[in-house]
Amino acid sequence: MSVDYLSIASLHVEYLQRGKTITALDSVDLSLSQGKTGVIIGPSGCGKSTLFNVLAGLNDRYAGQVLINGQAPRGGGETALILQEYGLFPWKTVWDNVILGLQLRKKTPREIQSQATMILDKLGLLPLAKRYPAQLSGGQRQRVAIARALVLEPKLLLMDEPFSSLDALTREEIQDFLLEIWQETGLTILLITHNIEEAVFLGHRIFVMSPGPGHIEQIVENEMAGDYELRGKIPFLEMCNLLRSYLHRRKKYAAGV
Amino acid sequence: MQQAFKKAEKALAFLASVAILLLLWWLLSLGLKSPAVPLPLDAGQSLLQSLRGELLLHLGVSLYRVLLSLLLATLLAVPLGILLGKDPVIDNKVAPLLYLTYPIPKVVFMPIFLIVLGIGDSSKILLITLITFYQILVTTRDAAKNMKKEYVSSMKSLGASSWDLYRHVYLPGCLPAILTSLRLGLGTALAVLFLAETYATQTGIGFFIMDCLSRMNYEEMFAGIIAMGLMGFFLYVLLDQAEKFLCSWIHL
Repeated sequence: MSVDYLSIASLHVEYLQRGKTITALDSVDLSLSQGKTGVIIGPSGCGKSTLFNVLAGLNDRYAGQVLINGQAPRGGGETALILQEYGLFPWKTVWDNVILGLQLRKKTPREIQSQATMILDKLGLLPLAKRYPAQLSGGQRQRVAIARALVLEPKLLLMDEPFSSLDALTREEIQDFLLEIWQETGLTILLITHNIEEAVFLGHRIFVMSPGPGHIEQIVENEMAGDYELRGKIPFLEMCNLLRSYLHRRKKYAAGV
Repeated sequence: MQQAFKKAEKALAFLASVAILLLLWWLLSLGLKSPAVPLPLDAGQSLLQSLRGELLLHLGVSLYRVLLSLLLATLLAVPLGILLGKDPVIDNKVAPLLYLTYPIPKVVFMPIFLIVLGIGDSSKILLITLITFYQILVTTRDAAKNMKKEYVSSMKSLGASSWDLYRHVYLPGCLPAILTSLRLGLGTALAVLFLAETYATQTGIGFFIMDCLSRMNYEEMFAGIIAMGLMGFFLYVLLDQAEKFLCSWIHL
């Protein structure tokens, strides 16, 4: 039996809001092998972001077991986080945004220079190095966010609705781009999305989450993910429909229909 | 090309404003026929003459007082404002105190400052510091409070320490607000400076103006008024330029 790179068992997270205890996640079990991609899909308020905060080491007040490569999550480790609005700092240039993580890890100026140049070059961002995020298009900003994560050579990449604000065409471009990165680096990727096609295109394993309190409703194995040619093919569409039916069933159930 | 055109247009608008201001002044002076409002040209001449005399010295003292006050206020208010803005637990404890004391016109404490700290520079400087401190503190706190969560999370996920967060997120992110509060605070600081310098002192532009008034030397008095106005203007320009330089990412 292969050991999972990421494994979560009976995760339970509560937080206080105006004196009331709210359960954000309950009995969440999730596992992902090294070098695979997982996608979390579900409606708003199902605790997806809470889950990510735990994985990124931003929240250590949880019950249950969370192991990333056998260790409890912590900030600044082998996990990189890319957030919804990219989390790029508008007051830093592309270059300064990308080198930030290296600076925090106390790399020498020489290492910083060479590593950042390499990654920017690879992602075709070198000509934009001196620009500020506000001077970039949505797709370019997304690439910078990916560059900033990759420059730290992470083992696990967490992406919280990374493509939600991109137009359809750019979105597909960046999805392809992410696939390319994944194939080249062998990263383990866990991604949150609202988009069914995106989930089927990118996720080897799809976790359907439901709210009240947040839990995993269904796990869908989707080994066909990771193929550029997948979009529009019959199995792809069938898988999309299957996933859609899971999500709708859940919705009807919640609405009491 | 277009940018050069825009620049020229801006310069022209500025010159036109100066011309209108001078014209209004000239008309006012003609209408009032009072020695307290001399004609622009006469006033300019007396300003140059006064600058060769004592005025420059007084101006220097005032500049020193106001700059030191603003510096002190910034150094105290910015770290505290960020601390309050990013930590709701501390903020909840301090907020009522701020709420209670913020609306008090601190300038009424001047007599107490004079008694406790004496009539030297320190009472004036600390009074201006106290007043501008509040303005900068409240603005900085609000800016830090409204800092986007994504910025903080993505920084923390990189394993950042509190100091890293401060240096890379809160300080640069709040800087535009801080500089705006400084520009607003500058006006208040100069007003308080003037008031503070009209009592129990022999130096500063405020003293100079009131001293001229009591000696009925209106020409020099007016020169002092213009000098103080120009000082305010140049400090404002300085802050404006500092903002353009330090927050270039806003002016893209």
